[in-house]
Amino acid sequence: MNNSRHRNTFSQLEIRQVKKRNLQSWFLSMPSLIWLTAFFAVPYLIVIIYSLLVSDIYEVKFLFTLGAYREILSGAYFKPFFLSFRLALITTLFCIILGYPVAYLIARSSEKWKNILLVLIIIPFWTNFIIRIFSWRIFLSTNGMLNEALLSMGLINQPLEIIRTDWAVIIVMVYVYLPYMILPLYSVIEKLDFTLLDAAMDLGASERKAFFKVTLPLSREGIFAGSILVFIPALGAYIIPQLMGNQNSLYIGQIITYKIKNIPRNWPVASALSLIMLIIIAVILLTGFSIYQKRKFRRMDEAR
Amino acid sequence: MRRALEEIRIEHLTKSFDGFVAVNDVSLTIKPGELYSFLGPSGCGKTTLLRMIAGFETPLTGRILLGNQDITQLPPYKRQVNTIFQNYSLFPHMTVYENVAFALRIRKLPNPEIDARVREMLQLVKMEDQAAKYPNTISGGQKQRVAIARALINKPKVLLLDEPLAALDLKLRQHMLIELMNIHDAVGITFIYVTHDQSEAMSISDRVAVMNQGNIIQSGPPDDIYERPASIFSAYFIGDTNLIPAEVTSIEEDYVDLKCQAGGQDSFEIDSTFNIKPEVGQKLTVSLRPEKIAVSRTKPTELDDINVIKGVIEDILYLGTHTQYIVKVGNLKFRVFDQHKRVYFDEAALDWEEPVWLFWHDTDSWLIDEVTPAGLDVGEINVFERPIQMSRGGKRIPRSE
Amino acid sequence: MKPGSLYRRLNLSAFTLVMIFLYIPILILIIFSFNNSKIVAGWKGFTLKYYLLLFQNEQIKLAFQHTVMIALTSTLVSTILGVLAALGLENKRFKGRKVLRALVYVPLIMPDILMGVSLALLFNFLRVGTGMLTVFIAHVTFCLSYTVIVIQSRLEGFDYSLVEAAMDLGAKPWLIFWKVKFPLMVPGIVAAALLAFTLSIDDFIITFFTSGRGFDTLPIYVEGAIRRGTITTINALSTLMVGFTLLLVITTKRIRKLLLN
Repeated sequence: MNNSRHRNTFSQLEIRQVKKRNLQSWFLSMPSLIWLTAFFAVPYLIVIIYSLLVSDIYEVKFLFTLGAYREILSGAYFKPFFLSFRLALITTLFCIILGYPVAYLIARSSEKWKNILLVLIIIPFWTNFIIRIFSWRIFLSTNGMLNEALLSMGLINQPLEIIRTDWAVIIVMVYVYLPYMILPLYSVIEKLDFTLLDAAMDLGASERKAFFKVTLPLSREGIFAGSILVFIPALGAYIIPQLMGNQNSLYIGQIITYKIKNIPRNWPVASALSLIMLIIIAVILLTGFSIYQKRKFRRMDEAR
Repeated sequence: MRRALEEIRIEHLTKSFDGFVAVNDVSLTIKPGELYSFLGPSGCGKTTLLRMIAGFETPLTGRILLGNQDITQLPPYKRQVNTIFQNYSLFPHMTVYENVAFALRIRKLPNPEIDARVREMLQLVKMEDQAAKYPNTISGGQKQRVAIARALINKPKVLLLDEPLAALDLKLRQHMLIELMNIHDAVGITFIYVTHDQSEAMSISDRVAVMNQGNIIQSGPPDDIYERPASIFSAYFIGDTNLIPAEVTSIEEDYVDLKCQAGGQDSFEIDSTFNIKPEVGQKLTVSLRPEKIAVSRTKPTELDDINVIKGVIEDILYLGTHTQYIVKVGNLKFRVFDQHKRVYFDEAALDWEEPVWLFWHDTDSWLIDEVTPAGLDVGEINVFERPIQMSRGGKRIPRSE
Repeated sequence: MKPGSLYRRLNLSAFTLVMIFLYIPILILIIFSFNNSKIVAGWKGFTLKYYLLLFQNEQIKLAFQHTVMIALTSTLVSTILGVLAALGLENKRFKGRKVLRALVYVPLIMPDILMGVSLALLFNFLRVGTGMLTVFIAHVTFCLSYTVIVIQSRLEGFDYSLVEAAMDLGAKPWLIFWKVKFPLMVPGIVAAALLAFTLSIDDFIITFFTSGRGFDTLPIYVEGAIRRGTITTINALSTLMVGFTLLLVITTKRIRKLLLN
């Protein structure tokens, strides 16, 4: 290949090889491309179409209208959106507060302990989702174990009404999404160079200051990734509010599900609400990433 | 920048990690303004010692005094001691400027003062024009300069340098070495320098402490350690040497007669001046630096105070500045450096298998009061080097070791 | 006085708290599955009767069969598609790469409910009766992203000098694939399949939207039972499911160890 006389022939051969390879890649990717297009992308088109139809008690009538959007704009669904947003935000914050020290501790453990601790975090996560929620219902219920324990210790006089409150929803949300925060945080903190902390302390920073000036800024990436992994799924929460919360504070996931499942159904409104949620998520992701990218680029610009 | 300097006194310092003694009852005093080196192989405890002075490790026993103040229990951020880390440890999320300003920002100094002092420091290390860059966009040598500026800005009484040049290539290392000496002259504070590289330690230091297995083997000015090694370890670790097992046969007025076992039936006799007071019949080791030996196919004529032995050339390595001969005397192998100076011996090049004469001055046969360890021979790797212990039950291990 | 000790203590207490938090529900399930009481409160003595009831319950048996069937088939299909896609994505100059990557990564962060709703409407639009087929399709769809990513991440660390060495030794491309590349991909494929399997048996929301009446998987059955209040056997069922996942984790570790050695 180093012989210049042959360069031309070789590059011809190379072009042919590249073409062959690309063709191969198309063949290999085709099944997944088709599958995901048909069952992930196309369904959203259907959602768009259905959002423009007229609702029926059971299904839809194929008549185009903006009725669903008009209904939404009337403000009836503002509260569920607000509640879901607040829930997602609170869940994310609690996950950061609880997850950060845990991720930090695991990241700073010895190799052997790291694996054990990580498995300990993941095991509950592998236990059935519904069953874990069910168990929380038992634990938090009015005559459940928590209340019994608190009563017998004399900390309270009458059972706490936790179940069927927003607090119960938050507790279980944090419980379910915590590993999604811990794992990305762990992977970032683990790569952190801990001699930087020595350096900060050497230069006069106390432990607290070293943490806020060095460790925290350098684990921003993990906090960002974890927050996305928690916040966005939390926004669409349905079953946790359904099993833990009450009917006075309905979240958007519940509204969508009711409109799909319960009679009288209203699929156009459910579709429109889903689309609005999708748009909100897209906006959050895009602004999040652009802020993130800008930071990176600014750093590179200054470097130049 | 000069101000009242204080000496550092280390008293009976001991530190162990899970039963492994890293530093074993070390005491020493470092004079104000001195450039002092800890030199030793991996795992000798030099970095642990440095980390205790910096405050990253707490000693098991002993005290560290800076002037009259006992700093043994002070956390790192309360000591007037700053460190240059092996991998520089620059904060990747801050610019060069912010890295240097860090210590002052922590102390919440007013911005104009911070700016003036950062500029001054950047000027000292010739990095003024790189202030806005981030650490991952500058070269290794530049990172080194930033690390120096960052450590010096707080006007420490002592600067600790942990293998500061280890990550640089040879040329840059030599350049930075001179730069470090200039900076030391400019700021005039005490520098404590940790290295495993003997040539670095020799060229930069006022005094060197040679360390092995947690102990200080010998300390003193570099030339003193090189010319007058107190132990086999010092002789062997610093520079090249030939170690010859010998027995004292007689003690004369101004020299000692020694019989050297060269394996099997072979033996030869050499003389030495007194650098220790041996007794007749005592077994000891003679350290003989390779560059002190002359090699020639003709026997020297003037024999006053000169040792002469006969050998056969086994190997010749041309090394540019000098040629290294491996000369076999009985079962012993001598390493000999021959500088290419024709004014002394203008003879045709020596050849493999050629019988030659080795000769050197009596004063260059340096006596060490230790029996030669078995298996120590030419070409042997440093037998004192211990295998690097990677993990001691999860405890953090000094990085450079 | 050792630096970091204060923070370590703080972290340790946070960790203990989180551990208690994570394991409380599981412990409760296990303990109460042996409790001789109709309601889930107070200890009324040890019993195995709910386990017996469990095995007599035809609905649960059926739901269990459905769950396993769906999990096995969707794991198989999503793993095969995942292997192919991962191999296709290896080619960085390939034009469809960006599209496929977007289609693979976006479902990962979408709330499950959106995928459930959109699939439900798709099946309604196409007039496909909900049931086993629709659940299978839905499960393959959400598992596929995970299998592609897991297998692909293994391929990223692939040492191509091995392929070159095999070529140098005269092996033909097809043989290279089966003798060199595929064996090295196996750990990734196994990990992907196990992940797909656990995701499938765990899923509630998407199945909820895509399964019709009469096709319950275990999570669907459990949720229904909770709603109807017939929860006596659920503790026992849950305990068995916890045991099953633990078994799965342990076998995964074993298999991984075997494969690595």
